[in-house]
Amino acid sequence: MSFGHIEKIGRRVIVLGGGNTAMDCCRTSRRLGGEDVKVIVRSGFDEMKASPWEKEDAIHEDIPILNFLVPKEFTHKDGKLTGVLFEEVAATFDEKGRRKLLPTGAPDQHYECDDVLVAVGQENAFPWIERDLGLEFDEWGMPKVDPVTFQSTRPGVFFGGDAAFGPKNIIWAVAQGHEAAVSIDRFCQGGDLTDRPPPMTNLVSQKMGIHEWSYDNDISNDQRFRVPLREKVEALKDVKIEVELGFDLKQGLAEAQRCLNCDVQTVFAEPLCIECDACVDICPVDCITFTDNGEEEDLRGRLKAPALNLDQALMVSAELKTGRVMVKDEDVCLHCGLCAERCPTGAWDMQRFTLEMSHASDVGGGACQAR
Amino acid sequence: MSGPLTLTNDFVVKFANVNGSGSASANAMFAKSVLRMGVPVAARNIFPSNIQGLPTWYEVRVTGAGHLGRRGGVDMMVAMNPQTWDKDLAEIEPGGYLFYDSTKPLPASKFRPDITVVGVPLTAMCNTRYSVPRERQLFKNTIYVGALAALLGIEIAVIEQLLAEQFAGKDRLIKANVEALHMGRDYVLENHGPLGLQVRRADGVGDRIYVEGNMAAGLGAVYGGATVCAWYPITPSTSLAEAFTEFCQEYRTDPETGKARYAIVQAEDEIASIGMVVGAGWNGARAFTATSGPGVSLMTEFIGLSYFAEIPAVIFDVQRGGPSTGMPTRTQQADLLGAAYASHGDTKHPMLLPQDPGECFEFGALAFDLADRLQTTIFVMLDLDIGMNEWLTEPFKWDDSRKLDRGKVMTHDELEAGREFGRYLEVDGDGIPYRTYPGVHPNKGAYFTRGTSRNPYARYSEEGSVYVDNVQRLLRKFDTAAQIVPGPVRRDAKKATRTGVIYFGSTTPAMHEALELLEAQGQHVDAMRVRAFPFSAEVYDFIAAHDRVFVVEQNRDAQLRTLIVNEGDVDPAKLIPVLHYDGTPITARFIVKEMAGLLGGAAPSPARKTVPEAAE
Amino acid sequence: MTYLAKPRLHHPSLVPNELGFTRRDYEGSVSTLCAGCGHDSISAAIIQACYELDLPPHRVAKLSGIGCSSKTPDYFLGASHGFNTVHGRMPSVLTGANLANRELIYLGVSGDGDSASIGFGQFAHAVRRGVNMTYIVENNGVYGLTKGQFSATSDKGSKSKKGVVNHDSAIDLVSVALQLGATFVARSFSGDKAQLVPLIKAALSHKGAAFIDTVSPCVQFNNHSGSTKSYDYVREHNESVNRLDVVSPRDPIHVDYAPGTTVQVTQHDGSVLSLHKLSAHYDPTDRIAAMSYLAQRQAAGEIVTGLLYVDPEANDLHEALETVDTPLNQLADQALIPGSGVLAKLNATLR
Ligand SMILES: Cc1ncc(C[n+]2csc(CCOP(=O)(O)OP(=O)(O)O)c2C)c(N)n1
Ligand code: SF4
Ligand code: SF4
Ligand code: SF4
Ligand SMILES: [Mg+2]
Repeated sequence: MSFGHIEKIGRRVIVLGGGNTAMDCCRTSRRLGGEDVKVIVRSGFDEMKASPWEKEDAIHEDIPILNFLVPKEFTHKDGKLTGVLFEEVAATFDEKGRRKLLPTGAPDQHYECDDVLVAVGQENAFPWIERDLGLEFDEWGMPKVDPVTFQSTRPGVFFGGDAAFGPKNIIWAVAQGHEAAVSIDRFCQGGDLTDRPPPMTNLVSQKMGIHEWSYDNDISNDQRFRVPLREKVEALKDVKIEVELGFDLKQGLAEAQRCLNCDVQTVFAEPLCIECDACVDICPVDCITFTDNGEEEDLRGRLKAPALNLDQALMVSAELKTGRVMVKDEDVCLHCGLCAERCPTGAWDMQRFTLEMSHASDVGGGACQAR
Repeated sequence: MSGPLTLTNDFVVKFANVNGSGSASANAMFAKSVLRMGVPVAARNIFPSNIQGLPTWYEVRVTGAGHLGRRGGVDMMVAMNPQTWDKDLAEIEPGGYLFYDSTKPLPASKFRPDITVVGVPLTAMCNTRYSVPRERQLFKNTIYVGALAALLGIEIAVIEQLLAEQFAGKDRLIKANVEALHMGRDYVLENHGPLGLQVRRADGVGDRIYVEGNMAAGLGAVYGGATVCAWYPITPSTSLAEAFTEFCQEYRTDPETGKARYAIVQAEDEIASIGMVVGAGWNGARAFTATSGPGVSLMTEFIGLSYFAEIPAVIFDVQRGGPSTGMPTRTQQADLLGAAYASHGDTKHPMLLPQDPGECFEFGALAFDLADRLQTTIFVMLDLDIGMNEWLTEPFKWDDSRKLDRGKVMTHDELEAGREFGRYLEVDGDGIPYRTYPGVHPNKGAYFTRGTSRNPYARYSEEGSVYVDNVQRLLRKFDTAAQIVPGPVRRDAKKATRTGVIYFGSTTPAMHEALELLEAQGQHVDAMRVRAFPFSAEVYDFIAAHDRVFVVEQNRDAQLRTLIVNEGDVDPAKLIPVLHYDGTPITARFIVKEMAGLLGGAAPSPARKTVPEAAE
Repeated sequence: MTYLAKPRLHHPSLVPNELGFTRRDYEGSVSTLCAGCGHDSISAAIIQACYELDLPPHRVAKLSGIGCSSKTPDYFLGASHGFNTVHGRMPSVLTGANLANRELIYLGVSGDGDSASIGFGQFAHAVRRGVNMTYIVENNGVYGLTKGQFSATSDKGSKSKKGVVNHDSAIDLVSVALQLGATFVARSFSGDKAQLVPLIKAALSHKGAAFIDTVSPCVQFNNHSGSTKSYDYVREHNESVNRLDVVSPRDPIHVDYAPGTTVQVTQHDGSVLSLHKLSAHYDPTDRIAAMSYLAQRQAAGEIVTGLLYVDPEANDLHEALETVDTPLNQLADQALIPGSGVLAKLNATLR
């Protein structure tokens, strides 16, 4: 479509699939002349792969999303598509808690249409790579790639992005490209590819004055702001017109204010702490506890607010003067810096964490160091 | 020398006693017996700061014409105190009378040739009749009342009736007293004739009542809806709190449960007293304290807080003289400035200035409405003269349809309905904001009370402009006060005049008598009695309408005059002070003498030689 | 201090109490005290105690005098009426407020300067009158707000930050309160919330004058060596006589200490004070013994903390005055004004 190969579509369109591709398909159909456009999905609404805001936008453009319908057959008359027949299913869970979609037994449903778009995404396929190059493929026809070096089984050939481990988003592709570049550099220099140079990290105190920080520590209580949209009639006229108008300066700032400053860390210095509790008292989200030390599981339950997210490690200090330890649950920390503002001795400090990814060349200032 | 005085229904009897001898109730009975004969009296205690042993006097002015001020001079001295004999004797007007206990013979040098002496051997009579020393002491008093009744023509049945009322239910006591009464009377009838001073039945009292200002004010507080009283004993205010206590016990005890609809705390000092009053006022109860000048001095920090935090409070200041040992048992009107501008920062407080016990009651009740409406401290300025002496005054009146006016209090329902609340927010131009009572609503209307460092919504602020706006609003509130406090009372001269006089409080009866005397001499003066501070426009109009205005008051520094000059931007030269401040109540004679001198006319020749005031 | 408003965001697992309030709903404005000031910890303990007691915030009236400590009522219970009165005079204002409405809960917060110096008299008299209140002195041994002068609770021989030695004997407010007949007397430490929070809860549910002396270090002027009110000194010399659990009338009593080591005291409102003895022979219902124990341990240089005395049968000022059950500020006109008929009778007796 982008390349102009397709310019129009039928009045009635059915889009099969529940991912972001399906959302693209249905909304594009609306712009190419589709008036009665539906998305019909096997799974339930909440399980659909599409991002919530994509679904929201589709519905906003008058596209109904019908769930729990499995396509059974395309119906046609006189060689012309007339519609799709669907079987209704429901989600059931087996004893292992796995979900299965089983027919409900309700009569099949028929939806008429002029066009069907099958939006089930893309698969990797490498039929064009000769199989005798020394490149090994797995049972699904995917190249075998080292997850650290991104090198294939044939030295000197590297994979990255969707080609390496299947579809993900572009951020992953960039990261993998970066790692692959390091490997390629090593390879060219004749070095060991598994010997990865570490990234450069740094912590810098943000304290400026008694209650002044060189980062913006005020916390906004706002929910995510909605991006303003163009009028629907306008937006549907032309597929090239941007639907989201973007934030204006004020809205943009307000949205940016919601940043939780995850790069600014709370850093604790045991010898300075006088155990006055000021940080405990001020912390809006009860991150900090002074208590007797113990096993992690036991500690997690004894904190001012229980630390329930097991993926998040606890920060436990060395033993303090009273024999207790300071335990911080990082999970909900707002990085507001109030603990450090209230700390009389500077035992808490707010320090900005900077990460400089490892570079292919350790000769600083290379072209890829965008600084 | 013109011989013994002959005066009917117009003379002064003074009793010289020893404090603690039980003479007070006998003397009061004497005064009341004259009243019961339909003849007005004005009686005054002159007593020391002492419980026993020091001299004390009781002065009864018998005044058929109804002049309730102190006259000055003594026509008859009942000299029961050897310690003050010489001084007491000297005070008697030429031609006057001396009544004394003749048990102990005294040399002629102890008497005066120009007076009539009546000796009654009181002690000897008592010793013959009574054996218990305390009885001898007490009945001696009753005996002299009986003797005086016979000398002055007071009907004995009237006194018997009074005794019956006083000791109602204690027949033995009535009998004993009546006996003593007759002992005195019989002795006189046998040994002396009636004197030139006579009480004759008249109809000059009407339905007026005879009561102390403190008691009236205490009653006023009950009618004003006061529920909390915190006080610290100090003469001459103590009897006000005590009267409130008694009235509450009588009228405010829940008939079903026997529980108190009031709380009275004798605090540890005046600071705590006013602190409790402020706390109770903040919390929506009507509260007051009764005190005198020294107490007001201690209270000033809280009075300022009440002013700025806008918390209703009522202070009854029964004025007396001086600090420390001072002149606690003497009267003065010398706390005006101290009360009006009490505390630090720019503060000023409304004051009510009752003229007599009748107004003590009226203003005593009104003060609580004003305090709630104006959300500030209201002073009711009594003085010892009004507070601790019984005065003939209009009977107490109450309109049963009257409601207590709680002022601007935002209710739960108003808050719930979403009405905007700012504790110090000007809403309708009168300078008075809304307040809420603590606990009123789960999530609306709560505020934090502090001094001045806050904005209209009671949130902390030290902004200069916020402060200025606030104190400007307080000035508007003070203007509102001037409109709702009792206005002045005018008493115009019979003839048009360019001379006026302003006075207030206990000066009133003496002033009125003085005006009559001046008028008799052809001196016409328009008069205005101010009844409250801040002064309403009428006061300044009155001054503007006259060339010169006397300001008569009982203090050294012309405090009322200062207030007028200060608040009304009045030319001081126009206001001529007439000041009386020796601790005794001001007299008509004094006022006339001072004013006549300044009016330029001849000083009126006093009816009799005036004993210098200072000698009293 | 901080000038940012504390974010309203709170931990997702905060549990609402019976009234549907989380602990955060009991907070007030953001504190303007020095970072690390003990007084802030006491505010936090008050917040915790009120939350745990399910107190409706608007039924609490909070009053204070003047001083850093006395500023704190602004920093907790934002939905309550508060009153920053004048220096040393909170007790009288609280007494008056209490007289006006016996139904509210009265919390007085004061400092050692406020209560042991300028307001010593008022402190004494409010306590001896048995005003139904919780009276907390945030005791730091100095006048914080006027920059660190010794206060009357400063121990003899202790040193000021500038090195000046205090030559005057200290006033021990706990001993004074015991002597004056306070019916609930405790001492605690701002740095020990496990001890302080139950004490505040117990005091708030006590009927009568409840006094808690809370040592509360002034990090600005009295947290150096040589001070006897510093975090370190107090921790080293703290001698706790018991640990308290307050069991509300609703909850089942559940004690997990060895038998014989726990005493239970039932208060007026039905709440049970379950006291785990740390000092074997200490009996918190024996006033005289408490006084002598205090004197002994004090002489040994210890700071005795815990619930030192409680009289569960205590009465309050309203009972002494026999006031009606209806709060005085809610009595209707006809309950207050005797009317014209009474005046007519009275007039007749005055003629
Ligand atoms: C009548 C009066 N005198 C003096 C002061 C000044 N002043 C303010 S706070 C304070 C001392 C407070 O000490 P404390 O009660 O111990 O409180 P802290 O600041 O230590 O918490 C003084 C003397 C005042 N506000 N009012
Ligand atoms: S930064 Fe804020 S949220 Fe994080 S621990 Fe400190 S006070 Fe708590
Ligand atoms: S505020 Fe600072 S000194 Fe106080 S307990 Fe927290 S880390 Fe320690
Ligand atoms: S001066 Fe002391 S008492 Fe005052 S806020 Fe600072 S640390 Fe606290
Ligand atoms: Mg202090």
